[in-house]
Amino acid sequence: MTRLLLGRLVQAALVALVVGGLCFALVRVLPGDAAFRIAADRYGPDALTAQAAEAVRQELGLDRPWPELLLRWFGELAQGHLGNSLVSGEPVSEELASQLGPSLWLAASALVLSLLIGLPLGLVSGLRAGSGLDRLALIGAVALRALPPFVLGLVLMLVFSIRLEWLPPAGYGTWREMALPSLTLALGLAAVSSRVARDAVAAVGATTYYRFARLKGLPERAVLVRHGLRNAAIPVITYLGLQAVYLIEGVVVVESLFAYPGIGHALVHDVIARDVPMVQGAALVMGLMFVLLNLGVDLLCRLLDPRLGAGR
Amino acid sequence: MLFVPRPRRAVLRGLIGLAGLLALAPAAGAAEGRSAPERALTVVGPWEVGGLDPASNGHAFTRLQVAETLVGVDAAGAPAPGLATGWTVAPDGLTWHFLLRSGVRFHDGSPLTAGIAAESLRRARANVGPLSRVPIATISAEDGAVVVVLQRPFALLPAFLANHTTIILAPASYEPSGRVVRIIGTGPYCAVTVAPPLRIELERFEDWWGGRPAIARARYLAVGQGETRALMAESGEADVVVSILPVSLARLRRNPKLAVQTVTPPRTRLLKLNAGSPLFSDPRARRALSLALDRTGLAKVLLRNPGLGADQLFPPAVSGWHAEGLPPLTRDLAQARILLAQAGWRPGTDGILERDGRRFAATLRTYSAWPELPPLAAAIQAQAREVGIDLAVSIGNTSDIPARHRDGSLDLGLVSRSFAMIPDPLGTMLQDFGLDGGDWGAMNWSSAETASLLDRLAVLADPAEREPLQRRLAEILQAELPVIPVTWAELAVVANRRVAGVRADPLERSYGLAEMRWGTP
Amino acid sequence: MMLQMQDLAGTTPPRSDPWPISRRIGLGLLALLAAFALLGPVLVTADPARQDLSASLAPIGSDFLLGADHYGRSMLARLAYGARLSFGMALLTMLSAAAPGLLLGVLAAWRGGVTERALVALSDIVLALPGLLLVLLLLAFAPGHFLPLYLGLSLSLWVEFFRVARTTTARLLVEPRIEASRLLGFGTFYILRHQVLPEIAPLLLTLASFAMGTAILAISTLSAISVGLQPPTPELGSMIVELLPYYDEAPLTVLMPGILIFLLVLGLQLTARGGTVR
Repeated sequence: MTRLLLGRLVQAALVALVVGGLCFALVRVLPGDAAFRIAADRYGPDALTAQAAEAVRQELGLDRPWPELLLRWFGELAQGHLGNSLVSGEPVSEELASQLGPSLWLAASALVLSLLIGLPLGLVSGLRAGSGLDRLALIGAVALRALPPFVLGLVLMLVFSIRLEWLPPAGYGTWREMALPSLTLALGLAAVSSRVARDAVAAVGATTYYRFARLKGLPERAVLVRHGLRNAAIPVITYLGLQAVYLIEGVVVVESLFAYPGIGHALVHDVIARDVPMVQGAALVMGLMFVLLNLGVDLLCRLLDPRLGAGR
Repeated sequence: MLFVPRPRRAVLRGLIGLAGLLALAPAAGAAEGRSAPERALTVVGPWEVGGLDPASNGHAFTRLQVAETLVGVDAAGAPAPGLATGWTVAPDGLTWHFLLRSGVRFHDGSPLTAGIAAESLRRARANVGPLSRVPIATISAEDGAVVVVLQRPFALLPAFLANHTTIILAPASYEPSGRVVRIIGTGPYCAVTVAPPLRIELERFEDWWGGRPAIARARYLAVGQGETRALMAESGEADVVVSILPVSLARLRRNPKLAVQTVTPPRTRLLKLNAGSPLFSDPRARRALSLALDRTGLAKVLLRNPGLGADQLFPPAVSGWHAEGLPPLTRDLAQARILLAQAGWRPGTDGILERDGRRFAATLRTYSAWPELPPLAAAIQAQAREVGIDLAVSIGNTSDIPARHRDGSLDLGLVSRSFAMIPDPLGTMLQDFGLDGGDWGAMNWSSAETASLLDRLAVLADPAEREPLQRRLAEILQAELPVIPVTWAELAVVANRRVAGVRADPLERSYGLAEMRWGTP
Repeated sequence: MMLQMQDLAGTTPPRSDPWPISRRIGLGLLALLAAFALLGPVLVTADPARQDLSASLAPIGSDFLLGADHYGRSMLARLAYGARLSFGMALLTMLSAAAPGLLLGVLAAWRGGVTERALVALSDIVLALPGLLLVLLLLAFAPGHFLPLYLGLSLSLWVEFFRVARTTTARLLVEPRIEASRLLGFGTFYILRHQVLPEIAPLLLTLASFAMGTAILAISTLSAISVGLQPPTPELGSMIVELLPYYDEAPLTVLMPGILIFLLVLGLQLTARGGTVR
């Protein structure tokens, strides 16, 4: 256990170094004049002129050699300071905190909603593998996954905000504004996790130990709970940790569509505007979150199946 | 595996419980204004809220009437009294007196004095913005008037002082280093919360010099996606929505709960050409490209208003600059081909024109900050191909255009140019068509006559005297085409019928919140 | 108590039929789509880039067989060329993500120890760089082109295959029958091929089919934030986004590219799983 934690700590440090350095390198090497980009984001298209760009260049010292800037960033990082945004001038840590909060809530509620929708569906489909319900669930899952999150969000808006008038279409404030964006993401996630759960449950249902439990005379429910769920849960939970890929991309689009002030659409702005400290800071924070998430997934898997922890 | 040991089970249960809790917990963050008795007026717009710097975000505070400028604009677009009740200029044209309105207070209760106004203007001039282009020598205060001394006569000074970068802020807005940390203006609404990037909360200012506004609380929400804005209008979440996609307008007009207004702002989508490139140095090539464009088709299909096809640079609504009777820009593929042949271009095997072994191929650069630009670019690409011009479309960032203007690597750019940065279009014309051209205007093209016309216009104040010069300017640009106008623009404001007094401002300087009131629902 | 035959009912595993109806339907769908994607561009004479603004949003069955988009371009032509591009590139992305992911995952689970730790660390670092960020950064090098797009997508997708392959294999390898095979002297490759692969194949095939859908959708995501492919390239994902504002006026036209993607993923799912277990 402590070995696992220590290993993750080392990994976190490694992630910080690699992700930070990589982002820095990539953004620096990008074509396009950084001063013009930053000025465009600051002053808008109508007021953008070469003078504005020059002023930005002077103010931010964008002409300095890159090793100096990189070393300075690492130095600041060691002191726990992530630098200032080139566009707004505010500290990166403050901006990230205000952007990350909403996004984390969105992602968390989307994940939980997707579990609530996907797992029971997958369970039932897996137990009745090959039946009409299973096939219907398959078609539903494929349909949801074949729709871009953008379109799904718009459809949900049309249904829930215009037709039914239950929920507001966009904004940020209470759970009502968060409902549609997280439902959009949750449906896409649930589509896949329900299929993964279904496969896992169906596979477990055909194993020897499962059959043996039934032969022993245990009631169906006990068989399911004691022998089925824990074994089926492992691939599902492993896959959950990977849903993050879909989640991140979905979060960007969903935040843009629903005018949700999170890190997704801020990140797009920052890459386009070449706001190096913000991109580095965001990538770093996301990277560390992944490490945490992986740690959680690993611990959960070990909890469910002690054999994984023991030496092989 | 016959039984699960107790501690593990407890941990598992705990995790499931936590998950359930997360699902039901309300979102973190401010949930403001729900318990207050009166509903807050919700204004939705496409532009995002930046920081507090007037140079980059002054437009937010003038539109929402939080801060004001010395000079305002009347219905015809001419300079009108704002925080200054009037202005006089000395006979030599160099010294301007702006008489300040008396009895004006800032949101923190402090009075507006000439000294404070002068200081605000000095800061604006030192910052990035249009004011730095005006040949100002000094700005000072004198007996309730702001005195501006120029280096040379410049009739447009009042118009420049209507620009949002010159908003007058109280001294308490600035910290010692000069950075703005609070917006304390003189307008009818106070900015209670400025939450970048998407929200501003406002409360009425009781002591506004223009009278007490009818609506007590308001808020602005930035919603970048056009479809979402339309849906917010339809669902009733938003009371006023500014800027709707052309495609959604028809649907919103049919909605009995909504009132739609459209105005034509002085904004033109145009093709900025590099007249120094061998492809476009010949005016016949530029005219041919203009003749290849189906402006009516573009306006009808992409902008849903066939009247927006730009047959000259300025739309009819911009009086004085729209020249009546000017030969319009039309579509004539045959004539276009003839002109190109005269310029020495012959069709190659793949249909693309060639001359001296060089293909007529260029990159059309545009950006997506305005949602109609990429579709327009794709359509222009297809239309240019019909006369044998091969355009590759590159959708990048706004800054690509001025950056490439500077380093000379731009072939063509499709831009959306606003002539209302300064209420008088001359301000932008000076920037775009001077001897050196402009980042958003002419590139490697200059005309001595144009330059002299602009110089003379800059010192004339009388509209009657300016009219013939402006017309001549329009004629030159129409013939030479250093920039090719493509379409004009339309601004749509949709208001829920429960709000009365909504007025669409073509110059987009102010949303008129102070004139709005709750009507009969 | 004697054990009757009927007590065993419901406890035997279903007999595996390699060619159930659903698998045949799936293969049929895939064959049709492949034919459309490969032969469509050859047989359809209309130019997918030719615009006719007067025929904007023409309905199905007019001059245009499948209607026209908002520029008046033939939907049939755009769908055919778009299918070829999207499906081809999605296949390529998925293969370039699945192959290394699978191999490395099984390797990590088999070898364990330092190899496994190093590979897991590598995958975590790649995963830590948000996929979208990676694609955005790579795209900024060559805006509007394919290669950075698919490179970024592959890089972010392979970890999925790696992790699932690794954990499933790890779980399998501790089962008694693997131990038994090892004790009996069967070699590594035999065990991997005959005992491990058939177990993980269904799960991976499910993932692969969804991964192909994800690849196509990632492009539409990028188009939605205006970082997509250069016009007038026909591509299914970006076609959905382009046509979206017209959902009120021509809903069927908007749905068409989406229907193609749906059919592709459905066909892959049905072929991979066949609807029944094993």
